[in-house]
Amino acid sequence: MNRFLLTSVFCLLTSAVFARINVVTLPGRDTVQLTIYNSADLTLVKETRLLTFRKGLNKLEFSWANTLIDPTSVEFRPLTHADAVEVLDVSFPPRVTNTLEWRIHSEFAGEVQVEIRYFTSGISWSADYVAAANKPEKLMALAGNVRVNNNSGEDYENAQIRLVVGVIRLVEEIRQLAQQGRPGAQPPPANESPRLAPQAMRKIAFAMDAAAGAAEARPREIIKEGVSEYFLYTVEGRDTIPNGWAKRLPSFQTADVPFVSYYKFERERYGDQVIRYYRFKNDKASKLGDEPLPDGSVLALRTVTPDNLFNFVGRTNVKYIPIGEQVELELGNDREVMVKPTLQDWRKEDIRFDQWGNVAGWTIKEQWQFEVQNSKDIDVVLDIRRNFAGDWELKSESKYENVDKAKVKFVLPLKSREKQKFTYELTTRYGTNVTR
Amino acid sequence: MKMKTLWFLASLVCVSIPAHARVKLVALPERARVVVSLAHPDATLVEEERILTLQKGVNKVDFSWAGVNIDPGSIQIRMLSHPDKVPVLNTSYPPNENALVWEISSPAAQEERVRISYLLSGLNRDIVYRAVAEPDEKAMTLRNYLRLRNDSGEDLTDAEIGIGYGADFKKSIAAGEILEMQSEKIDAMPISKILTWDAATLPWDPEYEKTTVGIPLSYVFTNSPPKLGTHTLLPGKARIFIRTGDNVAFTGEDWVQLTPVDRETKLYIGQSRDVKVTQRKVKEDKQNMRRNTGNAVVLWDTDEELKIEIENFKKDDVNLVIVEHIPGYWKQIKSSHEFVKKDAFTIEYRLTLPKESTGNKKTTVNLNYQRLNVQGNEPASY
Amino acid sequence: MSPANHKDPVGAASPPRSGLIRSVIRRIAAGTPLLPVFFAATLAHARINVVTLPGRDTVQLTIYNSADLTLVKETRTLTFRKGVNKLEFSWANTLIDPTSVEFRAVTHADAVEVLDVSFPPRVTNTLEWRIQSEFAGEVVCEIRYFTSGITWSADYVAEADKAEKLMTLAGNVRVTNNSGEDYENTQIRLVVGVIRLVEEIARLAQTFHGGRWDRDENPGMGVGKGPELKKAEKEMDDKLAIAEQIAPDAIIKEGMSEYFLYTVEGRDTIPTGWAKRLPSFHTNAVPIVSYYKFEKEQWDDHVIRFYRFTNDKPSHLGDEPLPDGDVKAFRVVSPDQLLNFVGATSVKYIPIGETVELELGEDREVMVQPTLMDWQKQDIKFDEWGNVAGWTIKETWQFEVQNSKDIDVVLDIRRNFEGDWDIKTEKKYEKVDATKVKFVLPLKSREKQKFSYELMSRYGTNVQK
Repeated sequence: MNRFLLTSVFCLLTSAVFARINVVTLPGRDTVQLTIYNSADLTLVKETRLLTFRKGLNKLEFSWANTLIDPTSVEFRPLTHADAVEVLDVSFPPRVTNTLEWRIHSEFAGEVQVEIRYFTSGISWSADYVAAANKPEKLMALAGNVRVNNNSGEDYENAQIRLVVGVIRLVEEIRQLAQQGRPGAQPPPANESPRLAPQAMRKIAFAMDAAAGAAEARPREIIKEGVSEYFLYTVEGRDTIPNGWAKRLPSFQTADVPFVSYYKFERERYGDQVIRYYRFKNDKASKLGDEPLPDGSVLALRTVTPDNLFNFVGRTNVKYIPIGEQVELELGNDREVMVKPTLQDWRKEDIRFDQWGNVAGWTIKEQWQFEVQNSKDIDVVLDIRRNFAGDWELKSESKYENVDKAKVKFVLPLKSREKQKFTYELTTRYGTNVTR
Repeated sequence: MKMKTLWFLASLVCVSIPAHARVKLVALPERARVVVSLAHPDATLVEEERILTLQKGVNKVDFSWAGVNIDPGSIQIRMLSHPDKVPVLNTSYPPNENALVWEISSPAAQEERVRISYLLSGLNRDIVYRAVAEPDEKAMTLRNYLRLRNDSGEDLTDAEIGIGYGADFKKSIAAGEILEMQSEKIDAMPISKILTWDAATLPWDPEYEKTTVGIPLSYVFTNSPPKLGTHTLLPGKARIFIRTGDNVAFTGEDWVQLTPVDRETKLYIGQSRDVKVTQRKVKEDKQNMRRNTGNAVVLWDTDEELKIEIENFKKDDVNLVIVEHIPGYWKQIKSSHEFVKKDAFTIEYRLTLPKESTGNKKTTVNLNYQRLNVQGNEPASY
Repeated sequence: MSPANHKDPVGAASPPRSGLIRSVIRRIAAGTPLLPVFFAATLAHARINVVTLPGRDTVQLTIYNSADLTLVKETRTLTFRKGVNKLEFSWANTLIDPTSVEFRAVTHADAVEVLDVSFPPRVTNTLEWRIQSEFAGEVVCEIRYFTSGITWSADYVAEADKAEKLMTLAGNVRVTNNSGEDYENTQIRLVVGVIRLVEEIARLAQTFHGGRWDRDENPGMGVGKGPELKKAEKEMDDKLAIAEQIAPDAIIKEGMSEYFLYTVEGRDTIPTGWAKRLPSFHTNAVPIVSYYKFEKEQWDDHVIRFYRFTNDKPSHLGDEPLPDGDVKAFRVVSPDQLLNFVGATSVKYIPIGETVELELGEDREVMVQPTLMDWQKQDIKFDEWGNVAGWTIKETWQFEVQNSKDIDVVLDIRRNFEGDWDIKTEKKYEKVDATKVKFVLPLKSREKQKFSYELMSRYGTNVQK
């Protein structure tokens, strides 16, 4: 973390009068901690330093050339002798950027440990997973990793790293604030109460750590805390991440997670394709459920030989999964499961006329047949959804479920190599025939 | 209401002149006092006091402000020592100069404390809030800062700065400087945490979404005693942190809206993804259809039913507000939970979701309502 | 005329520093030392009569604020000979309307007659009177002309007390001289009122070349004044004639017909480029009402603050109408009379007896929040074909109002309704006209109130009125 340390001039000016200026060059930070949020370009940096104060008024200058620090975020706080040290004000001097000066009143003369906190941009993190299914696609080994990317322009050395899983809201971009070099004018706040436009929301990364399963040489302990709506992962020890580098850390590894090979067919959503999902639950029964799973990319594989050779199944992104929630890894079209709907009969009947003899009401009757076939060597579950509009009625011998007023769902477990057929009759009323 | 008598300059005497004066006879004395009022949201009023040494007769006092963003029409001078005996006869404005000359009549040679006031542009203020919430999210420490940006061109030394409430600051702020000072600190201010799911803005079926639907999370507090309630809260950006042991994490930011006393402020700072709301309209039938002689339906009622399934995956109870919008003239038939009618077209369910209420333990809200005398052009807002 | 000009040799080619009005004699003999000014010369070129004039004796400016128009009246003492005298008048770099320059003998008027006036060829900004005099000796003459570039405006400072019950109102007038000419020791008269001017003086001043109208720019206009302008001038002269009778040397603000004339006592000097602000009146303890208005159709969701007062005797005003001008309003907030800025606005001309509302902008310390709580469409009527022909909308509105200020205020809420409507409410209200009602609520400091009303609007065949 220290190119930036060197470029920062950190000096301590004592007494308001400039007659006696006590410039203290600091011996670097004592500690540095990074709290990294991912989809918001935001990292909270906390550093501690040891300063020597005089009694009375002290001036403390802090500057940060060539960094991405948000000048409105820099805060000072005494850690020791906190009752004796008070910040009077913060000044951003004229005509210079990336510099501020605290005026600090101290009742104490001597060494004080202080904390300086600020936001920077350019550091991000993300999660990724490898899901390895067994041959019958009943169990899988799930491994999670976190990856930290440093494009902040600074090398961070010996930093404690914390990763936040959660979505916080930012009303201004940190990078933009940083580029101004000093606090600019606040835009007028929107007059209405905040509208919940999803695009405006920022996503925060999740971190997961946890040294599970795999026998790492020296697995690092990772402390997990639930904080408000977030999960906070603290990576044990200190890490060094030079600028431009990324670092991937294993987060967890769990074997024998039970899952279902689940197939979906819905014309309005996927066209004629049948889409494969691996479906499992983030809970104890599935050997998971200790923590939410952050959204991230997933590589899905399937063991095909006794000596654990893999087939590539698919690559996808997974949503954030709370503890206890069901996961569906969307793995793309699988042509080994077929759904073929056929309209077998179509009738227009029950015609009504208006006073001028024009057609005013009619009813359409449709007879549909569905052929489904599982060509795979494993059992699957197939989920077929149909959407209807208007005043409709459905008759079928097969079991179905009304999802809402315009959607029904047929769920069919299919054994390996199994074929099935089912039919339904749809009656739709139009014009004056409409009854509801 | 009498026109003041305007005298010719019988005697043109001693003249006190400010810095940068056009004709410098005597330097205008240093300011004895500077007061800056930021009470108006868009304008900054500066009042400065100086002590002039007047001669008997008519005195010319030259005041100039080269490079300073003063509204020339706003400049006033007032006599403080002898307000009734020392009149300002007139004010002259030279061409192409930021300057003016007052003609002041004095009955005797004497010192006069004068107050010069003007509107100064470029001295801008922002209100900034920083808060640290307790881990249980039931209270927070709120700090309120005033941040002044002095782009007025003028150095203000030992100025008494007031924002319309609280005590004045006494600060110096140079031209070009930005100065931030804490104006208030409120400890242990009670807050409540609320998730808000609005049917108009959030997707109804999360299964169909590519990413997990985040439900907006807000901290809510009321501007009332004992912790607040002494003045209107001014608009500004609020950054909220949360205490984690002896450490903090950032939990989001929002704009504080102008909040009068006893009104509520809601800061939307982030999203919860551990609560899942699935809403479905399971019924929307037309009833009581009235047809014209052409058999076209011209007026009808509806019978509509919403089913809202809510799962809380968290290990804590959660407060959730569900907002529904129903246009036109409508009546409730049946509701599984009580709701609050916010306005003609908006209702709110205020629910407390038990911890880990998922699967069979999920919360289900059923609302059955009728819309009446529908023609298809019903208002949804006003 | 500025002192510098007095040193200029007349007729020398040196361009004047600023605007310069001067009159010179036609010179025959070269080398005659000439002082600036007026000369009268005999018609015969043989004998040259050089008269040196001591500048203007008096100058009077009558300045209008509604048009860029100022009437300048100056008197000078000339020495005439018997017979025909030539008098040249020239004005470089000024904004004088050449068509307006008039000459009149004040003394010996019966003996002095203007024969004609000519604009010599190839010379700009010069005219020459041929004057027949039966009298030899000193004659006091008046020269009158219009110039543009001198304007005046009124401005006011209102200082309310802390409770916003009383204010100090101070009025000023500000005269700005951009005419190109310095005016010294000048009597200033200000006219409040609207003058109809057909040609702008500024344009006339710029388009008059060499004593002739530029025909391209002024098609249809002959040499001299256009008939329209003459009419306007005549009109104004008439008004001024009245004004002169009633406004002698005293400081007077007098009404004349639809005009009001302010005469500033004493003499003022305003060099070109300068402005001068003069106090006009200063009145203490004018009663005001801190009046707030809410009307969605006017100001959307904002509540607008007004200071309301009356220009009459009980308010310690009412001596004169108040000219339109800018107002800056302040409020005294501390025992040592420190101020807060309340707002800036401009007021229209305020006749005597009129109640004024100074619109001072949004005040967020007074809140009005209307909510539509219920909406019903009922009482549906069908026509013979079964179509909907009549219906009635019933709306229930709730208003929350809050005064967060430390003073009492009055809040005026207006609602506009269309068509056949009826309102029912417990709250007192006033019907302003067929489509507007008004709720006037006095609100104590920190007071909150709620009220509601029910509005029935009938449509189609349900309309009864």
